[in-house]
Amino acid sequence: MIITGLLCGALLGFVMQRGRFCLTGGFRDMYLAKDNRMFYALLIAIAVQSVGVFLLIDLGVFEYSAGALPILSVIVGSFIFGIGIILAGGCATGTWYRAGEGLIGSWIALAGYMLMSTMMRTGVFGPLNQQMQTSSVLPTNSIAETFGINHWFIIIPFVAVVLFIIYKQLTKPKVAIPKLKAKRTGLAHILFEKRWHPFVTATLIGMIALIAWPLSAATGRVFGLGITTPSANILQYLTTGDQSFLNWGVFLVVGIFSGSLIAAKASKEFRFRMPDVKTGINSFIGGNLMGFGATLAGGCSIGNGLVMTAMMTWQGWIGLVFMILGTWTASYFVFVRPRQKAKAAKLKQEVTTA
Amino acid sequence: MQRKLEVLGMVCPFPLIEAQQAMEELNSGDELVVEFDCTQGTESIPRWAAEAGHTVTEFEQTDEAAWTITIRKK
Repeated sequence: MIITGLLCGALLGFVMQRGRFCLTGGFRDMYLAKDNRMFYALLIAIAVQSVGVFLLIDLGVFEYSAGALPILSVIVGSFIFGIGIILAGGCATGTWYRAGEGLIGSWIALAGYMLMSTMMRTGVFGPLNQQMQTSSVLPTNSIAETFGINHWFIIIPFVAVVLFIIYKQLTKPKVAIPKLKAKRTGLAHILFEKRWHPFVTATLIGMIALIAWPLSAATGRVFGLGITTPSANILQYLTTGDQSFLNWGVFLVVGIFSGSLIAAKASKEFRFRMPDVKTGINSFIGGNLMGFGATLAGGCSIGNGLVMTAMMTWQGWIGLVFMILGTWTASYFVFVRPRQKAKAAKLKQEVTTA
Repeated sequence: MQRKLEVLGMVCPFPLIEAQQAMEELNSGDELVVEFDCTQGTESIPRWAAEAGHTVTEFEQTDEAAWTITIRKK
């Protein structure tokens, strides 16, 4: 049944590639362009998944306990992860699906990410990771448990807020966005050409994140979508030959790559693209920071940002906040500051020549 | 006047940032032709152009993962 991971991942990769679902870009644009659309899309995906998963838990399909909260490592790890995804030009999942589009820069980021995630688990940084994970731990991770209330008292207000945001966004006066000339018709047009509305993409991603739970639980892995541990597992399996590293999650991430490759090929968006030296180096450094941060925080933008948030845990929401702060900090140094410097230099030049 | 900007090989958000910078140096009515191969740019560049009030006069896929967009400055 491990093969369902491949199908689930392929669906996810397909939807993300076609929907241009990029959380890194979304977090970055909240700061650079004062544009929250992608963040709202993420909230939709969280809401869909949250309602579904807690219904399944209440129905007794599987049991889940959020456990304790290693608060320090969540905060530090998420912030570092946020910096890493800006340098790498995509989050963990984003990097997997862009690798499927043929971007060599994403292959480089992925190599760094897999390497560092492994080093943090079974490698030289294992003890450091262990120490951070156990240094400051709070007993409850579940928000509902902290307040001693039923989880629906958190989920229902959250869903109400999300519905209100959707209503506000969809009733805003729209600017017509220029479209590509359609070259196909019918289903082929919708699947491989048409621009997907981010909210539609987000709803689909929420549903995929939801079905991931029972599918994964059926193989003994009681969790939803996860990227970092499986990415490390691949390298661990390849270097040790130990088959116990091959789990549902490994097939999931391989599926993301395959699904995106299929989507990109079918929509004529696949091509091997080599980055310049600077982008290549940034991708590698970013990938390493991603692996370091995500392992420390116990999740990436999917594991914490999409799944643990939907489980209404402190880890998910605190992780999400610090991840976003990390992307903003890195955006300042990568995008804002160089531009300000260039402008200042130009002004100075004009003054001296005048 | 028409200016051509080739940002092939650049990944997002750099094609957009380059386009915004190039646009600043143009005069009203001038056209900027951006040639890019970053998939996510097919979303971000036309969106920025429309929201900034510029006119997109052409937007087409030219090859496997290659696009061209022509934007007239407002």
